[in-house]
Amino acid sequence: MLGYTLRRVAGTIPVLFMVSLLIFALVQFAPGDPVDMLVSDEATEEVRLAIRSAWGLDQPVYVQYLTFLKNAVMGDFGQSFRYREPVMDLILQRLPASLELAIYSTLLAVGIGLPLGVWAASRPNSFIDTIGSIGGFFGISLPNFWLGILLILLFAGTFNLLPSGGRETWGLNVERVTGFLTIDSIIAGRWDALWDALRHLALPVVVLGTNMTGIIMQITRASVLENLQEDYVMTARAKGMSGRVVLWRHAFRNALIAVITIIGLEFGTLISGAIIVETVFAWPGIGYLLLQGISFRDFPLITGLVLVYTTMFVLINLAIDMIYTVVDPRIRLG
Amino acid sequence: MKAFKRILLLGGAVAAMAGGAAQQAQAQKADQITVAITEGITGNNPYADSVVLIGSIWCQVYGCLTRWDFETGKFVPFLAESLEPEDDLNWILTLRSDWKRHNGEPVVAADVVHSIDRSRNDPESMSQASVQYIEKAEILDERRLRITTTQKMATLPNYLATMQVTSKKIYDQHGAKAADREYPFGAGPYRLVEVGIGSHIVIERVDDHPMVEPTNPKRIIYRMMAEPEQRVTALANGEIQIAQGIPPQLVGRVQQLPNATAEMVDSAEAMFIAMSPKTKPWDDSKVRQAVCHAINREGIARAILGNQVTLLNGPVGEGQFGFDPGYVSPIDYNPEKARKLLEEAGAVGAAVDLYSPVGRYIADRQIAEAVIPMLEDVGFKATLQTPEWGTLWTNVQRGETPFYYMGRGNMLDPSPALAQYFETDASPRLKYSNPQVDALLQAERQEFDPEKRIAMLSKAMAAITEDAPACFLWLHKLSWGVAKGVDYKPSKADRVNGWEIHLR
Repeated sequence: MLGYTLRRVAGTIPVLFMVSLLIFALVQFAPGDPVDMLVSDEATEEVRLAIRSAWGLDQPVYVQYLTFLKNAVMGDFGQSFRYREPVMDLILQRLPASLELAIYSTLLAVGIGLPLGVWAASRPNSFIDTIGSIGGFFGISLPNFWLGILLILLFAGTFNLLPSGGRETWGLNVERVTGFLTIDSIIAGRWDALWDALRHLALPVVVLGTNMTGIIMQITRASVLENLQEDYVMTARAKGMSGRVVLWRHAFRNALIAVITIIGLEFGTLISGAIIVETVFAWPGIGYLLLQGISFRDFPLITGLVLVYTTMFVLINLAIDMIYTVVDPRIRLG
Repeated sequence: MKAFKRILLLGGAVAAMAGGAAQQAQAQKADQITVAITEGITGNNPYADSVVLIGSIWCQVYGCLTRWDFETGKFVPFLAESLEPEDDLNWILTLRSDWKRHNGEPVVAADVVHSIDRSRNDPESMSQASVQYIEKAEILDERRLRITTTQKMATLPNYLATMQVTSKKIYDQHGAKAADREYPFGAGPYRLVEVGIGSHIVIERVDDHPMVEPTNPKRIIYRMMAEPEQRVTALANGEIQIAQGIPPQLVGRVQQLPNATAEMVDSAEAMFIAMSPKTKPWDDSKVRQAVCHAINREGIARAILGNQVTLLNGPVGEGQFGFDPGYVSPIDYNPEKARKLLEEAGAVGAAVDLYSPVGRYIADRQIAEAVIPMLEDVGFKATLQTPEWGTLWTNVQRGETPFYYMGRGNMLDPSPALAQYFETDASPRLKYSNPQVDALLQAERQEFDPEKRIAMLSKAMAAITEDAPACFLWLHKLSWGVAKGVDYKPSKADRVNGWEIHLR
């Protein structure tokens, strides 16, 4: 297992190299000049040239890439053009917000989608199954932007129960330990801050989790249904096992491989794909940071974020592979 | 049934707690206000942000040398006690003696020289333009300095209005980063409390500062909210007290709120359609004039913008320097005349691409979409192009976009903007050249008598309007949502200054 893990981690190096090369080439050849975003509208040509030189943008592209690569190996993705801060610092400041959002959304989606999928599969073509399937497709189809605005209007506007956006009420001053506000509030024993963090999380988590709930529900239903039709299930039933045991201990467990794969992939997508939700809810995460980076031709920020996303995807896939061995002991890694 | 009742009870309790918490959160904010803004702050360096509103927050913290007074329509001293011309190229700037920095130290002439230097040479600065005409600054004594300009420059107070005065002593002791982050001691009426990069900035009233009154908010939280729906909802539920940028379609909703109202003000950003005379068919003034005569501005204002605009007769409107209320532009909506001009120019059927940003300005795409059939109607073969902003802006700056819809802000005194767009070789973005306009703009910049300057500016603007390198369309009426209980009249300048807000 350890050898396999090390090999997989080592395997990420060429992947990251190729991704860095690709993303660097793409942002270089994309139309638009970062200098236009770095200087004022009224700046003279001399000022523009000075800025180009100060940021190293007057160097040949391959020199810029090699410099970036040399620094990136040390974990330094350079300085953000827009925010004038080290890219890694910006990412680390905002990553916990995106991770916290993605984790709670995943928990919500798994908590609802998984039992609903199993329930629907255990009663195929029943009323429950039909309603569950329609609900699942509904969840998959709802655009995040629309749902987000609708929930803001309803729960922040009409009912005035929840905040319209942001991550916390200013002034609570909870000491940051993990960067996860809910956990940090518990560590500090600040129940007011925990309640505040949960209230801010509620709407974006529901929006982000809705789509994933539908996907997990559909995959679980299909996978459990498929397993329920296998011979081993018939054997188990012939042996006199109860329906519940057959469903949960045999069919569900065998169906889990596909479900875990989807949960892992969707979790990765939630982290990298929360741009719209983070924008709608003014959530200070890395999704919105990426959007700003693209708008302002912030090459170091874009490249750094894409590399972080790639690394996270690789690690999530590795974690999924390891979970496979726990769920199904027949699977051997190596 | 019992389970159902339990769920109902639990739901009710949660709702009550949530509602109670919301009320509690609002009650805690009695002496502070939250202002929802549309663009986030980029960091702690006051010279590194080009957004007008963010710059004005830094002016509240550090203090700037001058500021625009809307009542007199002039730049008036702020940190400077006076700024007087000594001769054609030299100005004497005298600092106030009664304003101290937040750490108790005085603002001295060396700080101004240092701030000019940072504006020009700080690698993060976006303020180079504000000092580009300053040749040198020499200290005369602790409170006085002589500023020498590169040319005779009557508009120097205009440029100095956006320059924050930071402390040289703190900079020398701690370096730029630490000075900005850990020792942001300005001499403005508010002190810096916290910066959340890209999300918020918090400032707090300096109670003994001469510019503030007890009714000004004790604390102001500027919070980034990109979505207009979110800003309006947050205003409705009391999360925020002032909302920037309410789009026309949401103004009605704000006006119907029981706890807030919509306040309108003309922006200082002229919206126009530019045509580069270096490119065919725009090298013929008749073709350019045909475009301006073809556009039904009143129709667009009514149908798309809910009449939330002030139509322009030239580059500026009322309240801006150089505005001539007696001037009537000959460029009216007249499709018949447009067709005739196009025929005279031999340009009937000319294929033109109109470039427009999307989402940068109010209803920009819809406006450009409405202009296309108007152009087709008078004989152009027009196509709409909507590249993403980064691409469009780069091409405009390089002079590679000959026909585009755009806005030019910061035009309280339009002199720099007019020079930038309409003076020969000033910038590549329009490539317009007109010796009469050049002479007038150069002369007005060097004229210290405001009346004479206004006369020259008006003449230059009339010449530009009639030669039509650009069709001047309108100033958007900026809509702000303001909570009841907050006295705040938004200004043209897109700034929210604490000393202009009063809590009842």
